[in-house]
Amino acid sequence: MRIAPDYSKEFEKIAEAYEKSGGKADNLLDKRIASIIISGDKVIGLNNVEGVEIEAGKQDLGVWAKIRILKGKKIAMPIHLCTGFLGKEGEQRINFEFIIEDGASVDFISHCSFPWSTKLTHKMIAIVKIGKNASMTYADAHFHSEEGGVTVISETHAIVDEKGRYSNTFELTRTRVGKLVVKMDVDLKEGAVANLESKVRGRSNDEISIKESLGLNGKNAHGIAKSTIVATDQTHARIINEAFGNAPYSKGHIECTEVTKGNQVDVATLPVLKVTNDLSELTHEASIGRINSKQLATLVAKGMSEEEATEFIIKGMLS
Amino acid sequence: MLELKDIHLEIDGKVILKKLNMKFEIGKRYAILGNNGTGKSTVANMIMGMEDYKPQSGKIYLDGVDITDLDMSKRAQMGITIAFQENVRFDGIRVLEYLTLGGKIKKPLDEIKSALKLVGLRDEYLKRYVDGSLSGGERKRIELASIYMLDPKYVILDEPDSGIDMMSIETINKFIDALIQRNIAVITITHREEIAINSDYAYLLCAGIVLKEGDPVEISKYYKSMCDVCEHPNEIHLVKESETI
Repeated sequence: MRIAPDYSKEFEKIAEAYEKSGGKADNLLDKRIASIIISGDKVIGLNNVEGVEIEAGKQDLGVWAKIRILKGKKIAMPIHLCTGFLGKEGEQRINFEFIIEDGASVDFISHCSFPWSTKLTHKMIAIVKIGKNASMTYADAHFHSEEGGVTVISETHAIVDEKGRYSNTFELTRTRVGKLVVKMDVDLKEGAVANLESKVRGRSNDEISIKESLGLNGKNAHGIAKSTIVATDQTHARIINEAFGNAPYSKGHIECTEVTKGNQVDVATLPVLKVTNDLSELTHEASIGRINSKQLATLVAKGMSEEEATEFIIKGMLS
Repeated sequence: MLELKDIHLEIDGKVILKKLNMKFEIGKRYAILGNNGTGKSTVANMIMGMEDYKPQSGKIYLDGVDITDLDMSKRAQMGITIAFQENVRFDGIRVLEYLTLGGKIKKPLDEIKSALKLVGLRDEYLKRYVDGSLSGGERKRIELASIYMLDPKYVILDEPDSGIDMMSIETINKFIDALIQRNIAVITITHREEIAINSDYAYLLCAGIVLKEGDPVEISKYYKSMCDVCEHPNEIHLVKESETI
């Protein structure tokens, strides 16, 4: 990929932000890797490889991008999506459309990094269409500023056609959250499989709202929606995991684990299971509470302090 | 030396241990025998400093230092540790991270692999997670390997054979041998004669008191003939005064 000279300075900052969020900036310049780099409302870098067609442009307060994986193409190296905002205050709107044609296969690594923003609203809406026998994984990691002034609204609406496979993971564990609203829903056709997963750690007065929804609409469709939340200080969290069994032999499982630390947290989880076909099977697990005392004792008996043991356990849960 | 002196411990108003005296020296192996509910695990939890297991009277000394009021973390840092009877899962934590406590224990990889080998596990386990993908027996073995990694002075093994198949009693004894070779005291809480008779010294508990102590073969024999078939376990008033030491 070549970065336009006008944007070389901006790329340096974006690359720095990208690395903060766990990405490797070198990958953004690797010609073998398809990628798109967004800074504020500008596309400052874009690279296509065989089988991948990325189009992108400016829109009001942000960027739109359409990413198509051509029929039957197996993309060997993950496509990198880098979204950053360098200013302290503002708004960013991103619209993604992913079209994974029949039989294609692709992995995405997305990093959204706002390390210097004190008052930012980032709104991302993604439409995902996965074709027959196609496969897509999408791993989204966020890195926010420590001031807590970032608001993220992330919505993903996915349709997975016959025997398609879809995995979407959202992770915000290393920095303050600020305010987070995540919505993921998936419409699964016959034999389609989906895995939706969110991992978030809240600190201070962070606000977390997550809704994951599985629509098991095709025969033999399978899905898992899972959330793991660690809530500390005055974190407020509301988690809804839903599964709708609308087709024979469809199976869904929803799971929410919320670990609390401190007596000022305010957390709730609501599992919703609804069946309209009596051959569908749905299950759920949910727990809210402090770190398991047996886990803590096992580690403290090895010489860890209670604080070290708690961090060790939480790190594992969010890994 | 680790010494329990005149321990009296009650939990929720119920007397669990009475006038308990025990001594443990480094480099020696001990067995604590007794039926369920006689206070064996309470002794283990109390030595370790678990919350709610603080004696109402009596003292615990480690090399002459009173550690009765120290918490579990401090006692562990002084060289006392325990492998609890129940092995818990640690989601998202790989065996390697667990054995090194997230990098807190710095040892060469070869030494870590040796710890695994000692408990009968291959190197490949280092990449596995300490979660539900491992069987109870595998997690027990990993727990034992993690104890080995700590270089403690006193190790309490609370029912180490629980969750492991019969064939592995040999592995447990081999593991204890390896600790002894490193001059560690091993205190094993067990019902198993095969483990107890390999000890240097044994304590037999009944209703929270030391009913008998001494030669492990004799104590095991007594346990098997009297306690195993006892129709009134934990009713110490039925034990003749002459039988207690």
